[in-house]
Amino acid sequence: MIGRAQGRSHVAAPAAPFADSARLAQLAALSRDELEALQLRRLRRQLARLAQSSPYHRRRLEAARIAPDALASLEIFRARFPLSTKADFLADQAEHPPFGQRLGIPREQVALVNMTGGTSGQGQEIYGRSQHDIHLQGYLHALPWFLAGLRPGDVAVNCVPAGGMTTGGWGPGEGLRIVGATAFHIGGTLSTDAKIDLMLRIGDIHFIYASTNYLHTLTEALLRRGLEPRRAFPAMRTLFIAAEGYPLEWAERIETLWDCRLQEGYGSTQCAGFGASTCADGVFGRAGGRGLMHMFEWETLFEVVHPTSLEPVSSGETGELVVTNLAIEGSPVVRFRTGDAVRFVSHRDAASGRTWNAIECGTVGRFDDMLKIRGNNVWPSAVDAAVFSFAEVAEYAGRVYTSPDGKTEVEVRIAFTEGAASLDEASRERLREAVRGTIKERTNVWMTVVVCARDQLPEFNYKARRWKDERQQGYRL
Amino acid sequence: METDRSAADTAAREHRILTRMLADCDDLCRSGDMLLSAQYRHLRGRIAALVELTIPLREAEPDA
Repeated sequence: MIGRAQGRSHVAAPAAPFADSARLAQLAALSRDELEALQLRRLRRQLARLAQSSPYHRRRLEAARIAPDALASLEIFRARFPLSTKADFLADQAEHPPFGQRLGIPREQVALVNMTGGTSGQGQEIYGRSQHDIHLQGYLHALPWFLAGLRPGDVAVNCVPAGGMTTGGWGPGEGLRIVGATAFHIGGTLSTDAKIDLMLRIGDIHFIYASTNYLHTLTEALLRRGLEPRRAFPAMRTLFIAAEGYPLEWAERIETLWDCRLQEGYGSTQCAGFGASTCADGVFGRAGGRGLMHMFEWETLFEVVHPTSLEPVSSGETGELVVTNLAIEGSPVVRFRTGDAVRFVSHRDAASGRTWNAIECGTVGRFDDMLKIRGNNVWPSAVDAAVFSFAEVAEYAGRVYTSPDGKTEVEVRIAFTEGAASLDEASRERLREAVRGTIKERTNVWMTVVVCARDQLPEFNYKARRWKDERQQGYRL
Repeated sequence: METDRSAADTAAREHRILTRMLADCDDLCRSGDMLLSAQYRHLRGRIAALVELTIPLREAEPDA
C-alpha cells in the first residue's frame, strides 16, 4: 500500500495548527455531543433568521412543521426539513429574478455575486453574499490553509484564476489576506513558464494553492526545464490541491519532488468555500492508503445520504453530500443536495483524535456524470446538446485525458451522417469548426474535435455512455 | 483543564469585545456621510463575521 507510513520520512512534518491556535484546539477538544449541541444552537438561529427573511425557506419550515426556536434535535431537522436541489433553486430564481426568494438578506446588502458554472445545461445558480459572508468565505479558505501550515508572513502562490463570478475566484484572495500571507495571484494571467520565471524571482515560497491538474502541469514544466522543485523552492511547506481526484502514486511522487506535504480540501459554492480538509495530516492515511478530509462541522452541517433512499450511509460507504450553512446569511443553503459522491468516514473511524466526521481524499466524484475540466463543470448533456444541434452529426464520443506535457485535454470524435459524409473537404472542415465553437460556447472549454467514420464509434442500445475520463492514467512524473 | 478554562475565558472575553465593537459600528453606520457610512458597513460586515467566528463553543460558556 502506498503512503507516508511506508518509510517516506523525508517529507517534513507540517506546523502544529492546534498548538498555534487556541480556538482550533478548543474545536478539536469538543466531544461529539458538544459539537452537535453547537450545531443545533447555530442551526436554530439560522432557521429563525430565515423564517423572517426568506419566503423560500419559510415555506419549507412550514412544510416541515418546524418552529426554529423549538427545534429539539438535529435528527428532527434531518427527518422533516425538505431537501433542495439545483432545479429548486433555478425555479426560484426564474420566478423571482435574479436571486430568488432564498436570498435571505435585503438586495442592497448583497456585496458579492457568485454564480455556479452554468455548464450543466440546466442554468446557473446565483448567490448573493453580504459583507459578513465575504469574510466568512475568506475564513473558509483561510481555515484549511492554516490547518495545512500556512502562517502570517508566509509567501503564497495562488494558481487558481482570481475574480470573475465564481466563489473560487474570490475566496482565495480573501483567505490569504485573512491569514496575513503575501499572496501572488498568478492563476490565469501568465503562461506556466512565465509563472515559473516569477516564482524563481520570488524565491522563498511557502505555499501553493492549485487544482490537482495544475499542480501536475507546474511540476512537469519545472522538470522539463531541468529544475528540481525541492531545490528550486527549498522553503516550500505546503502544496494544497482541490477539485480533482488523483492516484496515490502521483501524490507520493509529488511529495518526493517537492519535499513537502501535499494537502487537499473539499469545497464548493454551496459550502461558501472549503467544507473539509486534510488538516495537517496530508493526503495519506496513517497506515498508508488514502487519507481523510475532516469536515468543518461547526460552520456547515453535513449529511451523507444514499442517493436513492436518502437514508444516512454508514461509515465507509459512499453517498451524496447534503449541506446546510450554519452562518452564511446571503443565499444560504439548507439541506442542499450537492450531487457530490463522497466516501464517508465517521469520526469514530477517522482516529484523528477529534470528533469531526470525514470524507476520503482523492476520490470525490459525482452522482450525475459531470466532469471537472480545467475548473469548469462540464455535463455530457451540454456537449450532447452542442454536438447534436448539427443535424449532420450522427454520433460522437468524448475522452478526457492528461497529455504527455501534463495538461488536461479533451478529444471529441464525431461521425457525420451518410449525407454529410459525402460533403466536400472544405464543407466538412467548416462543419467541424462550427461544432468545436458550439461546444466551447456551451461548456466554456475548448475541445479537440476530430472527424471519424461512423463504424469507429459504438452503437448505444440503452443509455449512451459517450464519455471516458482517462486523466488518472496520465498523472505520471 | 485549567488551560481549557483559561482559553475559554480568553475566547469569551474576545467575543464580548467584538460584540461591543459591532454595536459601535452600528452607530457609525448611521453616519450621515454616505461615503463613510458605506465603509462603516464594510467594516461592520467583517466584525459581524468575527462575532460569529468567536461564538462560545459550549452553551454554558458566557456569551456576549
